[in-house]
Amino acid sequence: MKNFRFPAAAIAGAAAVALLASGCGGGDQEAASPDNPVELSVTTFGTFGYDDLYAEYEDANPGIKINPNNIDRGENARTDAFTKLSAGSGLSDVVAIEEGWLGSIMEVSDQFVDLNEYGAEDIKDNWVDWKFKQGTDSEGRVIGYGTDIGPQGLCYNGKLFEDAGLPSDREAVAELFGGDDATWDKYFEIGRQYHDKTGLAWYDQSGFVWNSMVNQMEEGYYTPDGELNIEDNAAMKEQFMQLAAGTEAGLSANEKKWDWGKGKAFADGSFATFVCPGWMLGTIQTQMESAGAGPEAGWDFADVFPGGASNWGGAFLSVPETSEHKEEAAKLAAWLTAPEQQVKQSAAANNFPSTVEAQEQLAAEAAPNELFNNAPTGAILASRAEGVTAQFKGPEDSVIQDKVFSPALGQLDAGTTDGEGSWNEAMKLLNELVVNN
Amino acid sequence: MTVTLKRPAPAAPPTGAVSPFRHRLSAWDQKFSPYLYISPFFLLFALVGLFPLLYTFWVSLHDWHLLKGQGEFVGLANFTNVLQDRFFWNSLGNTMSIFLLSAIPQLIGALFIAAVLDQNLRAKTFWRMSVLLPYVVTPVAVAVIFTNMFGEDPGLINNLLGNFGIEPIKWRTDTLPSHIAIATMVNWRWTGYNALILLAAMQAVPRDIYESAALDGAGAFRRFFSITLPSIRPTMIFVIITSTIGGLQIFAEPRLFDPTDPGGPQRNFQTTVLYLWEMGFQRNNFGKASAIAWLLFLIIVIIGLINFSLSRKIASADTKKPGNRAQRRAEGKRK
Repeated sequence: MKNFRFPAAAIAGAAAVALLASGCGGGDQEAASPDNPVELSVTTFGTFGYDDLYAEYEDANPGIKINPNNIDRGENARTDAFTKLSAGSGLSDVVAIEEGWLGSIMEVSDQFVDLNEYGAEDIKDNWVDWKFKQGTDSEGRVIGYGTDIGPQGLCYNGKLFEDAGLPSDREAVAELFGGDDATWDKYFEIGRQYHDKTGLAWYDQSGFVWNSMVNQMEEGYYTPDGELNIEDNAAMKEQFMQLAAGTEAGLSANEKKWDWGKGKAFADGSFATFVCPGWMLGTIQTQMESAGAGPEAGWDFADVFPGGASNWGGAFLSVPETSEHKEEAAKLAAWLTAPEQQVKQSAAANNFPSTVEAQEQLAAEAAPNELFNNAPTGAILASRAEGVTAQFKGPEDSVIQDKVFSPALGQLDAGTTDGEGSWNEAMKLLNELVVNN
Repeated sequence: MTVTLKRPAPAAPPTGAVSPFRHRLSAWDQKFSPYLYISPFFLLFALVGLFPLLYTFWVSLHDWHLLKGQGEFVGLANFTNVLQDRFFWNSLGNTMSIFLLSAIPQLIGALFIAAVLDQNLRAKTFWRMSVLLPYVVTPVAVAVIFTNMFGEDPGLINNLLGNFGIEPIKWRTDTLPSHIAIATMVNWRWTGYNALILLAAMQAVPRDIYESAALDGAGAFRRFFSITLPSIRPTMIFVIITSTIGGLQIFAEPRLFDPTDPGGPQRNFQTTVLYLWEMGFQRNNFGKASAIAWLLFLIIVIIGLINFSLSRKIASADTKKPGNRAQRRAEGKRK
């Protein structure tokens, strides 16, 4: 009997190890066709407006099942995507990428499928030129189909404007800020008047105004050849000091961004203007819903932006190399970003499409947006998109935005430092977190 | 055991040529199979414990980018960089402060609850289970609820304070209030759990000691401090050590206390693990993140060793008491 013990023990031990090992088996590559049931996972973030489109695609393509996953904010989607990229697995078949961290993704663009292999060339004329170029890496591989872009208009609260004796009519407001020649000088000047009269804040916090300013410049934090250009960038510092002077004069409500007191700040008149890239309209909608507010809050959308045309954000759909159904995934990404679907997405999420045809359609329809005092937001954004160009985004763009300037401006908002101190803090953080990271 | 197993061996030779091999098998069986039986644990530990630990150290010696992977070998440069990083020290300070704010009230609260539960209550199991209830709720849910309560603008606690004419407290912006808020989440979750462990220890204290103390005229407080506390000291040490390890690794609560800026916009409640996470997954520097992980590991080991030596001292002090007690009991019998 005892002689059998050794093999028995060996089998037991081996079985335990085998059980462990077999945990990561499987993975047979199934040919993707509508006849074979194929499950596609899609990861988006923020207010993307795809839910109805998923159902529509599933109906039109029997055998396809879409597993959607939406992450609350772009910054968290970035962490999610980066973690899974570094782990080498776990990414969805279709992944939404935000413009702000596209620069990092471009450094590892070979981890994403070249959509040229799946017909990108045939549909490239759908998009506005610069958007398609943004999704193309230095070797000409197309790694992302553009979804939306972020042309900026000015959200303002008509009721508060009226109370302060300012015009509240959309066209008159655009005129007030200078129409096509609107400048940041004018924006802060009116803000000061408003603040003097009412004692209230002009914008929610400095960070978003700063993002708008930077995205508007021809070159942002990086020069087009990928060099950091902040510390000795006189034009940038001048802009910063202009913003700082406004905030020091009490124009900032020092709200917590992405929280806004659970959306309450949009309903209680805490601030009168808000910088609004297309997708931000969807964010405002979500915030107002969580605060239980609606059109009566008085928000409106004017066809004007201080300093002229500006684009902040926008997203792309990519297919990672780890996807097991690349062809089906690429097909879905192309379908979701086609003009027809972009129009529907825009209706659901209030964002602004990146394809020419969809933009033209939105402009022609000029559908009123109930939440924004029936402003034709789509048509206004189409007008705001004129003259927008792509700005080069470097690998650390999102870190500079969220970890360098955001906390420095936060100190300014809280009144714990002045403009010069805030800039110096930003430069210190830049050196610690980016230059010497 | 060995004797009974060796006995059949002389009977083996008649089977002929196989026997030396079988004999050797049998000997190997004796020698190795015990190790084989306990090997699953060690294999698992090597896989999910030791290997990551060593690999993290290997990573910490390199420039290592989250997306781009392994870079140059840099020796201990990551460690020296981290040790000169003001945010690392800031995170350590925050961790210690939150740890002290949670561990001390938690221990006192747990002791008190355990002492109450140790009395003759009606529906004992009901009370004991109720105390454990907060532990069942996931930390994430706890954090979400408490984050709402400790909100700055609309927030339950600030609203309540407002009723008494107290200025709203900046729970997220100010350092100490934010630490207190996070410590509250930890306490809410762990006090009951620790109370149950301490209760188990208290129940093991012989009741006759209490009786004789009561007969000698010791009041409830005197009995608690002179009998209960000394008797449960080893368990206290266990509770302290586990809450130290847990407290130094705190992550979920501060992470969720401010979902937009992990650790607060000005990092006033960024704990070390949160900073590690920021370094690895937001600043993409895996090398430095690994160095932070190792420094934290060393700090926990050092604090663990201090705890261990303390507990050994107390344990050796304890061994005297049972002796005394036995002596006393023996003397009693002799009388």
